[in-house]
Amino acid sequence: MSPFIEMLQFPFMQRAFIAGALLGLILSTLGVIATLRKMSFFGEGIAHASLAGIAIAILAGFAPLPIALIWGVLIATGIYLLERYTKLPSDSLIGIFFTGSMALGVVLMQFTSGYQPELLSFLFGSILTVTASDIWIIGALSVAILGWFFASRRALTYIALAPESAQVAGIPVHRQLFIFYIALAIATVLGVKLLGIVLISALLILPSATSTLLSHSFKSHLILAVIISEFTILLGLTLSYYFDLPSGAIIVLVGTVIFFLSLITKKFARV
Amino acid sequence: MPKSSQKITKSALPAISVSGITVSFGNHNVLDNITLKIPSGSFTAIIGPNGSGKSTFIKAIIGLLKPKKGSIRILGQHLHDVRHTIGYVPQTFDFDRSFPITIAEFLDLAMHKHVQESQLHESLKDVGLASNILDQQLGSLSGGQLQRVLIAQALIKRPSILILDEPAAGIDMSGEQQLMELLGNLSEEHGTTVVLVSHDISSVAKNVDQVICLNQKLICAGSPAKTLTKKQLGKLFGEHKELYHHHH
Repeated sequence: MSPFIEMLQFPFMQRAFIAGALLGLILSTLGVIATLRKMSFFGEGIAHASLAGIAIAILAGFAPLPIALIWGVLIATGIYLLERYTKLPSDSLIGIFFTGSMALGVVLMQFTSGYQPELLSFLFGSILTVTASDIWIIGALSVAILGWFFASRRALTYIALAPESAQVAGIPVHRQLFIFYIALAIATVLGVKLLGIVLISALLILPSATSTLLSHSFKSHLILAVIISEFTILLGLTLSYYFDLPSGAIIVLVGTVIFFLSLITKKFARV
Repeated sequence: MPKSSQKITKSALPAISVSGITVSFGNHNVLDNITLKIPSGSFTAIIGPNGSGKSTFIKAIIGLLKPKKGSIRILGQHLHDVRHTIGYVPQTFDFDRSFPITIAEFLDLAMHKHVQESQLHESLKDVGLASNILDQQLGSLSGGQLQRVLIAQALIKRPSILILDEPAAGIDMSGEQQLMELLGNLSEEHGTTVVLVSHDISSVAKNVDQVICLNQKLICAGSPAKTLTKKQLGKLFGEHKELYHHHH
């Protein structure tokens, strides 16, 4: 039996691969619009803010993922509403929610007793911790996000490029942006188990940034971002299994190497 | 937009009818009790000093800002019912030039569903661009070409009113004159009502048929001969400014 097939015999690896493939799809597609709207910091903020949700769940004895998801959606709603109804800049608002919620998470963690292995896996990502119920949650939400994204991708691109023109054209700009914020928050929190709070935002940025270097049209940009994302996650998970290293860090390192290889290839192709 | 080269008969119904609108930011009235009509098929320029409310005025017309008081009718109807008849070219179009999107894909975004390629060709022809640029990346265009593509995108849905916020910003003088001639042609030959915000009084005097002078209040409105006089421009920009005097 080949080592790869052998690896896939383990249920935890099957779950990690299914979750990775789904997360690769939603993070890369949403990442294309997020990077175009210069919203990379939003993913970072939501991921870190989700620590408070995880802490609340651990303290209350609930499964962390659903509570972290609800918390992430609340934070995204708060950022969206304050961005829309105050004149405060977006990065300041994200910074306030990010640090405030993370500080709350750190304080709440002081009330938990003993060693919390789950907390460490949320910080840096782990392929061992994806449960069967996590797969169902990731699957259902990924289908909903992808369905909405493909129905709205033209409107989202128009809003990201020319928001005023999109509004004049009759696109419900505020409603679409609000849904986008919520979808981005959900995708980010879903990815926290595999990638970790510290590194998840890299999967929003790296596939899109690499694809930008290699694409000519928006259609090819979107397709290539998904391919790069899937390849990065699946190779990263495999390396994480063989070398017993944190999945989040290895996936991000693979993505970073692909980005720089693409950059160098493009540079030499021009010469 | 009809492709006939004949002049279109201009409708008696005003394209835009503004009645007593006041637009405020906080306690400050940026526009104060403006009432005017923009004739159908006209080529109208809105002029005024910096901060006089020109952009605010057009944003109120197209529904991007809500007036505190007053009403706006487009072709005699509420904006909501005739939104499809308006094309808009914003003042700023800051985008990441490395973002991979072709001109065809960008033009296509203006419609809710995919546009036929013949429609894309027609829109590019309307703004004097060759259809072989459709596969080029948007980020590879010069400032003048990009402005034309933005106008072509606004024209895709064949609007009867085209509104542009300082379309000549960032274009050199010869490019600006070409752009004004193009817009004049849209109004003259296709009957499109063209409304633009401009800083360039001499270009306005040469090209448009209606002028609206705004400085928080409506200072004057009418033909260039009537509005671009030393007296009116003095009222609009201040007596000590060096003014363009429009001779006829």
